[in-house]
Amino acid sequence: MKARKRGSRKHAKPDGQNYVFRLFVAGDESNSSQARGNLARLCEEHIKGRYKIETVDVLKDPSTAYENRVLVTPTLILLKPLPKVTVLGNLNDTKQVLAAFRLTLVEL
Amino acid sequence: MATAKRRVQARDARGPQKSKKKLPKVSTGIAGLDLVLDGGLPAGRVTLLSGGPGSGKTIMGLQCLMHAANAGQAGILVLFEERPAAVRQNAWSWGWDLARLENKNKLYLMDARLDPQAVISGEFSINALLAILDQRIKSMRAKLVFIDAVDALLHLYDSPKRERQELYALHEWLLDRRLTAIMTVKTVPQEGVPPQYAFLDFMADCVIHVDQRVTAQITTRRLRVIKYRGSGYGRNEYPFIVNENGINIVPISSNVLQHRPPGHKVSSGQAGLDDVLAGGYKSGTSILIAGTAGAGKTTLACVFTRAACLRDERVLYLNFEESPESLISNMLSPGLALQPLIKTGRLLVRSFLPEAMGVEEHLFYALKELDESQPRHVVVDAISACKRMGSDQAAFEYLMRLLNACKERGITCICINQTSGLDLVEDISGIGISSIIDTIILLRHRLTGGAMSRQLIVMKSRGSKHSDQFHEFRITDRGIDLVKA
Repeated sequence: MKARKRGSRKHAKPDGQNYVFRLFVAGDESNSSQARGNLARLCEEHIKGRYKIETVDVLKDPSTAYENRVLVTPTLILLKPLPKVTVLGNLNDTKQVLAAFRLTLVEL
Repeated sequence: MATAKRRVQARDARGPQKSKKKLPKVSTGIAGLDLVLDGGLPAGRVTLLSGGPGSGKTIMGLQCLMHAANAGQAGILVLFEERPAAVRQNAWSWGWDLARLENKNKLYLMDARLDPQAVISGEFSINALLAILDQRIKSMRAKLVFIDAVDALLHLYDSPKRERQELYALHEWLLDRRLTAIMTVKTVPQEGVPPQYAFLDFMADCVIHVDQRVTAQITTRRLRVIKYRGSGYGRNEYPFIVNENGINIVPISSNVLQHRPPGHKVSSGQAGLDDVLAGGYKSGTSILIAGTAGAGKTTLACVFTRAACLRDERVLYLNFEESPESLISNMLSPGLALQPLIKTGRLLVRSFLPEAMGVEEHLFYALKELDESQPRHVVVDAISACKRMGSDQAAFEYLMRLLNACKERGITCICINQTSGLDLVEDISGIGISSIIDTIILLRHRLTGGAMSRQLIVMKSRGSKHSDQFHEFRITDRGIDLVKA
């Protein structure tokens, strides 16, 4: 119990890279561009300075897409903190995305 | 441009008849299916395979892939529902070693299962899948793609309109790459393709429907080609079986009757009966021996069987009533030793329990035996038992096709039918096959003066003279004796 508490305090550290995302896009198709924009805005608004986004273009790197079992674009995978979460789509529904990333509390 | 123009002109000069080109086809590796499809699947086009659970869609597609891979053509299997490991394991039950072909880079099982826990927020497309597939196709130079359970992919979309768009996009994508593709879609038993997927039937160039039915507790699988753009195809429903070799279809061999003309007369094995029949049975024809229980039908058939074997002619005895052992022992009483004939390979007795399998499986084994053993004569004992394959319709199908197959091969076929009486013509010929029967012999008992006597009469004998009298006969310990009138 104690260890977990300490852990969560660590997460709250304002300058830590606590959120690691991997975003799979297909070139600059419309949904992919929207997802890129939506994710950047969302991170800036809610977890500013505590996130890292890795972008994979499936058209250039299909192998990484396959390794991650990504079949549709855009696909966003939250790698950290665990558990891993996958969100499909252009991330237009901010509320839903935040809920998926268990970010509602941070928002408050 | 110039070359193209010249080519067009050259084609016109050749006239319309010669410019008629046959659609290029890809063999499915399933002999019967290639026949039904007039050569195979349309090359460079999309074939839709629809069917309910357990109808054999995956095996059929896998068999096509295996066939292509063994011939050196690489193929990819896209799995939306099953794990590759499970498919490999299932393939083993047909003795198919997928891993061997995978190692040779002739086959690739692509795990395309979607994460069921994924959250959906906004629009997306299957570009990633296509990019992965594209890379794989290029590296393997694959020509054949089998997409299993495309409906699982479509479930991702919340609107039928989006499903349709995405599928059309996939279809175009496959056509652009000139891939020969097979897509499966699940149907609801008895209802067909769900309405939201009905457009698939319009989209694909070739649509095959498979189903599995249970009638009278016997399962049968059937296949029907619903459409095939630019090609002729068999338009019936074709039963098929799945056995240790994969899919087997026995198509009703041809739409024209290609029966061989009846051959010379062969002895019935009984001199007196030969006289009655003006020389014996005609080889290559169908003969029906009908009569009540105990009238001597099997004995009469075995008299012929033994005589034929002794003439060095092979006989296939399909027995639906008793085991080979019991037939052998029962025939010892009228002095017909069958065991030595079996030993020399002249006589083949195959016993089947009619209800053990469906019509097509029975038919498959019978036709296989016809091709492998090349018998001159076949005995079916008894057609009345064939009803236990499911229904009158099932028995009719079995016999009609077996008799047809025999006639095409010039094989004499002796059918035994047990009747309850001798009055109804329907009952005598049984199951409506009389039109294909050339000779009918009736056997009956009669009680005269405190004793039972047996009689036979030839009711019909196509293209041959025959006696129109009842003839008395006896079953002795040396076969059958006809009493001189």
